[in-house]
Amino acid sequence: MKKLLVMMLAMCMLAGVAFAAGPSIDLKTASWDSVVAAAKAEGSVTFYAWYFPDYFKEAAADFEKQYGIKANVIIGDQTANFNKAIAEKDMQTGTIDTMIVGGQWVKTTTDLNLFYGPIRNILPDASKFLTNSWELQEGVLINGYLAPFHRNQPGILYDPDRVKDPPQTWTELVAWINAHPMEFGFCDPSKGGSGQSFVHTAIGALAGGLDKYKGDKELVPAKVANWDLVWKWFNDNKDKMTITVSNNDSIIRMNGGEISMTVAWDDNVKDMISKGNLFKRAKMYIPKMGLAGGGDTLGVLKNAPHKAAALVWINFIQSKEQQLKKFQMVGAYPARTDMTIEGTLLTEEDRKNNAIPWFPAPYKDFMIKEFVKNVLMK
Amino acid sequence: MAATKQKNLWYVRQARRKRRFTTLLTVFFILVQVIWVGVPIFMTVLWSLVDPSHPWSFPNILPEKLSWGQWIYVFKYTNILRALKTSYTLAPCAVLLSFLFSLPTAYVLGRKQIPGKKFFQTIVLLPIIMPGMVVALFLSRVFNAFGLAQNFFGLVLAHTLMGLPYMIRVLTTSFEAIPQDVIDAAENLGANTFVKIKDIFLPMVRPGLLAGMIFAFTTSIEEFNLTFIIGTPTFETIPTILYSFLGYNFIRTNASVVALIMMIPNIIMLFAVENFLKSDYLSASLGKL
Repeated sequence: MKKLLVMMLAMCMLAGVAFAAGPSIDLKTASWDSVVAAAKAEGSVTFYAWYFPDYFKEAAADFEKQYGIKANVIIGDQTANFNKAIAEKDMQTGTIDTMIVGGQWVKTTTDLNLFYGPIRNILPDASKFLTNSWELQEGVLINGYLAPFHRNQPGILYDPDRVKDPPQTWTELVAWINAHPMEFGFCDPSKGGSGQSFVHTAIGALAGGLDKYKGDKELVPAKVANWDLVWKWFNDNKDKMTITVSNNDSIIRMNGGEISMTVAWDDNVKDMISKGNLFKRAKMYIPKMGLAGGGDTLGVLKNAPHKAAALVWINFIQSKEQQLKKFQMVGAYPARTDMTIEGTLLTEEDRKNNAIPWFPAPYKDFMIKEFVKNVLMK
Repeated sequence: MAATKQKNLWYVRQARRKRRFTTLLTVFFILVQVIWVGVPIFMTVLWSLVDPSHPWSFPNILPEKLSWGQWIYVFKYTNILRALKTSYTLAPCAVLLSFLFSLPTAYVLGRKQIPGKKFFQTIVLLPIIMPGMVVALFLSRVFNAFGLAQNFFGLVLAHTLMGLPYMIRVLTTSFEAIPQDVIDAAENLGANTFVKIKDIFLPMVRPGLLAGMIFAFTTSIEEFNLTFIIGTPTFETIPTILYSFLGYNFIRTNASVVALIMMIPNIIMLFAVENFLKSDYLSASLGKL
């Protein structure tokens, strides 16, 4: 009996080791064909997202058809997805293979060392994406651990029936806000990237430009010393603006007529129009004062049970066909640079001239915390 | 004679005043119900029927065109059917287990004098006082360690834990309300423990039990955090779908559809349970019926 128990325990341990070890090949050095073969042997992939259920469900069907690998798509909530990934971080084998990494989670997840990688050198189409998008996301160095899969960009969304001459510069925007109290909205930066982008622009306009932060790896206190001017401006004008609770809330409030101009993500806007949640007459542009954009990325969890399948899934989502399909279905702008797209909400000219990069992550973190402390809590 | 007439007139006036007051109260009640319950449900139904190609936007008071487009979208692109099946299998199991766990606890807290009784009564409420995600994150470690994550029994246990505080609290109050003289009288007439449970305790706590069941059932149906952390990807429940439309990525039309899907069976259950609540043993025991 004792012998039997010892044998069973040994078998369980062996099975555990084999299961946790994942594919028998070294994914970082193996050929792509071997990765695909390993993925097929794994048989399935579990992917966590929090938006575009329609696109991802269709992509999962296409993926299964092409590779014979079952893609289990779970559409959850952004925060809940990351809480789950973090809760499972110390488990030898987790339950998530790959997930979308939203801009505001890049720093936290990178600091926690949550993802497997670097995956850039494994994926065959990596060179078709901007080099910078593999290295830096939202001001955080990602060193090829996270894969870009769409480029989204905040812009100013407005109702052309109520806004005849939308502002381009900071001075014009301030004048417009003064002339139309409460009609301009932006999202609480601790709740959504579009709000962060707006506050980032405000810092550039009110605290001496954004160039001085370039290349800083740590926050330099002297450079943020005059940010109190920014918080003062927000406090002085708080009663003339509407601070919303999420990216989508800004759009919903505009649809309901509460505000007539807001900062919003281009893909969010297209998605909301296609689902009947925003009027079709809505227009959008990137103002000359500039707004920082980005794009969500995909990561493979370090303790993913199906790492090879996760890599094949990411490669599939990055493929030309899927990038195009995603744009056609939900309006998310492709991250690939080797394809041209028509019918975008924001013009190519706007993207080229007025989309600006983020300042480094330590400043962004500081900006969000200080905004909450100095504006929202006052 | 005149005095009697005067008195009768006074009674008639009083009756009229009472009737007017009752009518006023009824109108007020209906008004509150319409504003509090009717309008949100009506708006949810309307939003769930907004045609995707005809947005319901300012300045339109009502949607331009209604269609089943949003419903078709939810059924086509989410795992709602799988979630419905899981939710409505999970909830009855969790209610049953909550009942079994809470009955002895509630009996002791309601009928026995034990040291630290108030403390225990407060402690059992902790899971509902603490933020859901905090409870979920801590409990998930325990569930993972005991191999209870990603399996149905683990989920039943998790939902039971979330429903227990309600069940224990309501049942404790029911046990406390049973008059001691009824129990004494039964004992004097020779009732043994089994008879006391069957003829006194169970009938008298039944309204409380049913109320506790409703709480435990709706808690299970609405539970998101723990289910998401320890249940997905193997199991999805209705709130895991609802939160994808209601959380960070708020899409009102789709959220309305899922909310209605979640609400309709609950309303049917509430009406069904209401029938059981009608026979009030407690009032009968006190001679109030």
